[in-house]
Amino acid sequence: MSADANSQSDVETVVETVVEVQKLLNKIGEFVLHRELDFEVRAGEVMTLVGGSGSGKTQLVRVILGLKRPSAGLVRVFGVGWDDPSYARVRAARERMGMLFQNGALYSAFTVYQNVAFPLRERGGLDEEAIRAIVYAKLAQVELEPKHADLLPASLSGGMVKRVALARALALSPELLILDEPTAGLDPDRSDAFVRLIKRMRSEYRFAVLMVTHDLDTLHDLSDRVSVLADQHIIASGSIDEVRSVPHRFIENFFGGERGRRAFTAA
Amino acid sequence: MATAQAAIEIDELPGAGAGATIHVSGDWTFGALRKRRYRLARIAADLQHRSAKSLRWDLTGITALDDAGAVWLARSLRTAEQIDVNPRYGAMLTQASQGLLVERAEGGLDPLAGVVRVGRAGIDFWFHLRDGTALLGQLVLDLFRVTRRWRDFPLLELSANVYRAGVSALPVTMLVGFLIGVVLTYLSALQLKRYGADLLVINIVGIGVVRELGPLLASIIAAGRSGSAMTAQLGVMRVTEEIEALSVMGVSVTARLVLPKVLGLAIALPMVSFCTDIAALAGGVLIAKLTLGITPAAFLEALPRAVEVVNFWIGIGKSVAFGFAVAFVACHYGLRVLPNTDSLAAGVTQSVVASVTAVILLDAMFAILLRDVG
Repeated sequence: MSADANSQSDVETVVETVVEVQKLLNKIGEFVLHRELDFEVRAGEVMTLVGGSGSGKTQLVRVILGLKRPSAGLVRVFGVGWDDPSYARVRAARERMGMLFQNGALYSAFTVYQNVAFPLRERGGLDEEAIRAIVYAKLAQVELEPKHADLLPASLSGGMVKRVALARALALSPELLILDEPTAGLDPDRSDAFVRLIKRMRSEYRFAVLMVTHDLDTLHDLSDRVSVLADQHIIASGSIDEVRSVPHRFIENFFGGERGRRAFTAA
Repeated sequence: MATAQAAIEIDELPGAGAGATIHVSGDWTFGALRKRRYRLARIAADLQHRSAKSLRWDLTGITALDDAGAVWLARSLRTAEQIDVNPRYGAMLTQASQGLLVERAEGGLDPLAGVVRVGRAGIDFWFHLRDGTALLGQLVLDLFRVTRRWRDFPLLELSANVYRAGVSALPVTMLVGFLIGVVLTYLSALQLKRYGADLLVINIVGIGVVRELGPLLASIIAAGRSGSAMTAQLGVMRVTEEIEALSVMGVSVTARLVLPKVLGLAIALPMVSFCTDIAALAGGVLIAKLTLGITPAAFLEALPRAVEVVNFWIGIGKSVAFGFAVAFVACHYGLRVLPNTDSLAAGVTQSVVASVTAVILLDAMFAILLRDVG
């Protein structure tokens, strides 16, 4: 019994750096998108990735998620590379992270309940009663009512889709949550509410967050650290104030613009 | 963040029946509990037999908790009355126990399920008829409108559809036609040889191919090839809200998307079935030479006498009707797709089945109506 428990903890190593990217070279055809890119997300922190349109933020996230194989360089999530030969290690790493896609990416053939239950069922080891309890607890956490559980994604509003997707991303109590434009397409009220929701969930579960966003308010409210992607690599990384003081055209435009000043002076 | 094993320790208070304090400690996470949970569940189950009042649960030793752990704990704590818990984990435990309380309405066996099903199928069929009729009417109206305003005529889409459904379908359709011609001729030749009626093979293959098989083969392949593509295209456009975008821009969906498909296939299919006829007859000529020794020249010379030319026109006319039917059914199903993947898959399947059925039904009708012709 205890030997088994140990083998489990072998698979799930405790790491301080949740996401580690070193000297990444990422080409699309002959076009070099990333070169000499270093990036990391530490356990428990909220790391925000910003960058101009077309700077390759989404591609970087896809590399981190293992959806795209980098041309060269090292990518480790929970200390595991996606090309690791051990299926168990890769799978264990996958189960420790949750992803919130920009448009939710809910399974349209499944109800809300089935969508949230899906990762739990795939992981196995839980009976239906426990799954049901977790699903309803998750739905309650994202402020959805049990009566919403049997709706299909097509009949949900945009804000509800986001919340169901968050519930699904958090179903396995992940240690890393990846958010792609979490507040895009939400009105300011809902986007504030969504930020509050993520903050509250974080205070309970203490997961690390890797967030891609354009929204300065969201960035300001959530981030512990910020990394700026420009000129094919991370040009600055650190707290918001540290990053803002770096002299670079993109940073000056991004934080120094009218919207930037408003977000940062209001606080 | 070293992992501590999850544990339940029972600390009996002195004195019989004085109760006990239960210390729960360690990491109560899915990963940590995966192997140990049955043992812990047994301990918890034993505790259920004791009076809830006498037990005091001390959860302050918990070092990590996730949803799975919270649910396992919450199950043991259902009847518990005295619980000490670290406030950090209190909310999670409360949520888990509330989650356990939600009743899920189980769809029990409905005694009337059969009746409901039949009724639903009937209603569905009625909706199909109604929507189909509406679409047909709309197409006629659109046709009138575009003839009054030629600028609106979707010429580009029409020619694209003729190309897609016609030209690019030729290789596969002609190949199938050729093989069917070979098989048909070979089988009839075997029979006819016994009676010495060798030359009748020209009648059988000629009439069979030109009047029936050519158009039928072409339209069945079109249903599988073009019909499914049409349904899928319209269905995906529904899923991605492109249909709605078109309507909002004031572009008629039927005039722009359905009309060119329906007209396109009605134009393309006669040509495809003409080529299929040729391929099938070529197969016939080849086999007639190989098995019966009828020279190609003799075959082609006897063909116009054996097969009246009206049969050819019947075949072509039927192809027009089949093309119209296949594209119409495909578009009808495509527009009914709901914005989810299941509905899309079901729509494409139903579309192909329905359009093949429609083609064969139409063929039967033509056979009856035109039984005295040719």
